Amino acid sequence: MRTLLKFLLIFITALTLGLGSAWYMIEEGSALTTSHLGPWSVWHSAGRPDADPYTKAYMARAGRLPITSTSALYFFANSDESGAQMTSDCEYVIDGQPLNAAWWSLAAYDGSGRLIPNKANRHSFNRTDVARRADGSYRIVLARSARPGNWLPTAEQGSMKLVLRAYGLREAGNVLNKGASTRGLPTIRKVVCK
Amino acid sequence: MRNALFTTLTIIFLAAFIHIVAVLSLPYLAPKNAWARVTALTDENQMIVLPAASPSHQSLPLMAPDVRYGVCRFNLDNGPVRLSTQILDDLWSIAFYTPSGENFYAITGRELKRSQIEIIISTQNEVGVKAGASLLDEIEDLIVVDSPVREGIALIRAPLLGPSYASQTEAALQQGSCSKNLPGASLQR
Repeated sequence: MRTLLKFLLIFITALTLGLGSAWYMIEEGSALTTSHLGPWSVWHSAGRPDADPYTKAYMARAGRLPITSTSALYFFANSDESGAQMTSDCEYVIDGQPLNAAWWSLAAYDGSGRLIPNKANRHSFNRTDVARRADGSYRIVLARSARPGNWLPTAEQGSMKLVLRAYGLREAGNVLNKGASTRGLPTIRKVVCK
Repeated sequence: MRNALFTTLTIIFLAAFIHIVAVLSLPYLAPKNAWARVTALTDENQMIVLPAASPSHQSLPLMAPDVRYGVCRFNLDNGPVRLSTQILDDLWSIAFYTPSGENFYAITGRELKRSQIEIIISTQNEVGVKAGASLLDEIEDLIVVDSPVREGIALIRAPLLGPSYASQTEAALQQGSCSKNLPGASLQR
């Protein structure tokens, strides 16, 4: 009886560890599959036929159809520059430099990936419709109520995340390169919380 | 002491085994992968335009609100499939996927340099290539895509240059088609 109990305990422990670690590496990514650039994280082999098993498992779960990472990258952020989870209770300022891509789009979603309803019907800004300064840089304000300039409306409550898609990214490898670090990717700064 | 070491090793070995099995089997077990979602949306060998992403509806997870998508779920069991579409801008792209979501081929408007394109999707080393080649006289610039799979997805991405472009872009995608009617089929008969 004791032996049986012991085997059961060993099995349950192994099952928890095995499934838990698999779940974590697929859901959250790991050094093997994802890069972190400031608040942004990116699955650097997404969409590639020669991707590793973790990336493939992640893609199957995500249900998305990303363009191969050699020509497009998808950056996800659910926290600000300081690492704090982004929430609709706060306002954020996103400052970006010209990104070396044919096209990019920065969209806001709620914590479960839905677009946020708003009267302005505004869910994203992209390379072609964002208002830019003379040097090509831009500022987007994430807030509940209207702001002058590039205003991206947020929800009444709950967490949120940003997705930055960069199509036709030149030197995709360099963007992921630690040396190039956060070059070109926008910063996300918390301004005020209610 | 030896017993404890043995127990720990057993747990680690078993956990690693379960970990590997879980990771490798997930692509086949995940019930809502992109292929399952696209299969639910459309019959094979026809082109549909996905409804624009909105707060209440997204056909695929995390769709871009400022991109319109045309989808063709192709099946090459009965020979090659022809995809015709307009390409209104350099930024438009067509990407081809296996059912597990691997993007095996993609081409952008910038590379195509023309506004109306014809693509023949065929399995590797198959009649499609020959059919395509024999048709080259008839249609210039025919693109032949060698697919590593018999079933897959072609996804046209049309980024909106601004909110006012939405209806024009959707209309252009609606004109696209995906069919078994190869160009020149009438000539061969």
